[in-house]
Parts: sequence; C-alpha cells; structure tokens
Amino acid sequence: MLNALRTCASPGRGGHEAAKRAAEKVFACRESAAALFNVGDSSKVVFTQNATHALNIAIFSLTNAGDRVVISGFEHNSVTRPLNAVGAETVTAGTKLFDSEDTLRDFERKIPEAKLAVCTHVSNVFGYVLPICKIAEICRAYSVPLIVDASQSAGILKTDQERLNAAFIAMPGHKSLFGPQGTGILLCGDSGRPLMHGGSGSDSLLPTMPEYLPERLEAGTANVCGIAGLKAGIDYVRKTGTDRISNYETHLRCLFTEKLSGVKELVLFTSEADNQSGVVSFSPVRGDSETFAAELAKRGICVRAGLHCAPLAHKSAGTVEKGTVRVSFSPFNTEKEVLTAASEIKNIVHNH
Amino acid sequence: MTQYLIMCPSLTAAQKTQMVFERAGISSAVVKAPRSLYANGCGYAVSLYRGIDRAKELLRKNGIMHGDIYKRKENGEYMLLD
Repeated sequence: MLNALRTCASPGRGGHEAAKRAAEKVFACRESAAALFNVGDSSKVVFTQNATHALNIAIFSLTNAGDRVVISGFEHNSVTRPLNAVGAETVTAGTKLFDSEDTLRDFERKIPEAKLAVCTHVSNVFGYVLPICKIAEICRAYSVPLIVDASQSAGILKTDQERLNAAFIAMPGHKSLFGPQGTGILLCGDSGRPLMHGGSGSDSLLPTMPEYLPERLEAGTANVCGIAGLKAGIDYVRKTGTDRISNYETHLRCLFTEKLSGVKELVLFTSEADNQSGVVSFSPVRGDSETFAAELAKRGICVRAGLHCAPLAHKSAGTVEKGTVRVSFSPFNTEKEVLTAASEIKNIVHNH
Repeated sequence: MTQYLIMCPSLTAAQKTQMVFERAGISSAVVKAPRSLYANGCGYAVSLYRGIDRAKELLRKNGIMHGDIYKRKENGEYMLLD
C-alpha cells in the first residue's frame, strides 16, 4: 500500500509511468479477485468503497418502486435501507435461526411472486450460514435475479459466481479479504445501473457512463492504495485456502462456546447443525449487551454489542430488546486468546 | 519496425487483451489511443510491433471485444487495417 501511495497516479487518466503502474495494480487485483470467486471475466469485478456501496449499486440496478423483493430474516441495514429508499415491497423469508430447512421452504414459497431476491450468505450477528446455493437454485428455477450479500463469507466460504449465477455478489474488502477499510467488491452478472456518474477515463465525449464494465460502475478516482492492499489480502486468502481459514475459525468458535456452555448467566446462540461460521453471539441474562461489551473492552477484548446494524436479524432471533454481544474469530486469533476471552467473560458474569 | 494499434473500448479491455497476448508470447503495451483515432474522446489501445496476424487470431479465438486495428505508416499517419 505504501509503495502504491508513493509510486502510483490515477489509473486510466494518463499515459505516463505512474498512471500505468496504478492501472497495473488495479488490474492485478481484479484478476486475483476473479480467480478467487470464479468469475470468468475480470471485467465483471467492480471495485467499490465498501459492501454497502456495492449493495446499493446492485439494489438500485434491479429494483423499482413497488417491486416485491424477498429477503432473508437476517439481512443487514445495508440491504433493508436501500430497499426501503427505492420503495420496494419487502417480504421476509426464513426467520428461524440456524434452521436451513425452514429458510429454504420459505424462500421456495415466496420467490415465485417476487421480482428480486436479496440474501446474505452469513448472518453478521449470529454466523448463521444460509443455504445460499439452494436459494440460488430456486431463483434460477423461477428466473428471479438474486443479489448475494457476501460480507461475512467472502474469503471464508467458497463464493463461486459461476455456480451461483447471481445477478450481483457484494462484499467488503476489509473483513475476511483482509484489505483496508474503504474497499469493496461487486461481482456483476448483470451490467448494472450506475449509482454515481462522472469521469471514467474513457469515452469522455459521451454524456453518459460507458456501457461496458467495470468502468460503467466505477466513476471517479479509484482507491489505488486500498486496492493494492486488498490485492495482498486476496492473495493471502488464495494461498491459505478458504477451507483452511473456515476450519480454523470454526475450531476457535467451538472452543469458545465449549468453555462457556455451562454458564447459566449467558444465552449462547449456537447451531447444532453444520451451519455456523466463526461468529457467535451471546447475551447476558442480567444487564445489557453494551455494558457487557464495555467490560470486555476494559480487558482489551474488542467485540461489538447491540444490534450490529441488523435489527431484522435480532427481530428474527428475538433479541431486539437487549441486543447481543458478538464475538468473531479470524485466522490471526490464537487458542490462547480465545481461552482468555472465555475466562474474562466468566469473570464478568461472576463479579458483576 | 511497424507499429500496430488495436483499439480497445476501455482501459480494462486493453489490459485483458495485453494479458492474452503476453500469455501467447506476443510483446505488447497498453497505450492511450491517439486522439484522432478515437471519436468519443479518451480511449485505449494495445500497441505491438510483431505478431499482428497471431494477435488477430487470438482476438477472434478468445472473443475479445476490440475496435479498429491501425498500422502506423512511416510518415506517422495511421492506416486502417481492419
């Protein structure tokens, strides 16, 4: 990133060496992302500011006021708010936490009447891994386009655009792709409708954005330094392998829940099926989640509490009143850290 | 040496074209297209000096979207090749 900051100009805005270097860095990241997510043509990898930006492009591309849109019961505000802004009629499918069969049955029932389906791959609150491949199959069967929010899964679970055949897959760069904040990716199965209009570095005499991807959806100066960092993160994921990352995170999550399973003062949200990622939520029986997280912060343990910008997920799980404390693990966490966190949680429960 | 320019609809398209050529052992570079050759203002091209026939074959074979192909004459003018 520092090298890019020092040596790169703006891609597509000049013919000089610094602009060429920038263009090469951006293109290399596009190719690497296309390889990770099995996108046949890297032009369909669009860089965005974050997952919210990517989801907004996707939703505004495919939705008009009054359209019926099926969403899961575990969507983030970055899905529900754009749908609300566009005036869509949202229908929720699948509100039973960790119940894949119920989720599928409800999608199957509601998709035929819908114009669009939007579904998160993994709940950001509970780590519930939704049966996205089967949901994609249902969408294909009824020719309903699908937008996948891969914010919690990209880099951990296999996200295969060719297999899902989704209209769009949105993801942030800074989570499990290990890039810096301010980066995101939109994988496009559709040409999309630009959310921003402006310089694209080509076809400058045209009054409109170009028809072709990725330039069509990438108006303005690119975040070259961020994209350079994102490339390093994606390369790490490709080298390590999503299976290995996922297995390790699941191992840490299981270790954590095992240590806390007997604590009666906590409600742990865990799955008995094999459909939970390396994310786990709990709520204290007494007191609220924010106070609990503040106590953990004093001990150097950084977790998020409250509603996690996903009130719909909390409504589905019945936790909207108190919220939850969410703990998420990464390949850079150690077993020792997990044991320390569990031990500190027990200390807080027993001393407050 | 004779220069050939393959006009591309975008920077990314030019980069993809160059990558295909590179993998086939054809040396080329992405360049800003001469203003006179690009009606819509600001465009990109892939420049190469050798292997134009093989390059055209690769464009066809890989279904690569591209614009006109020009040959640069000794006087510096560009002649439409295809």
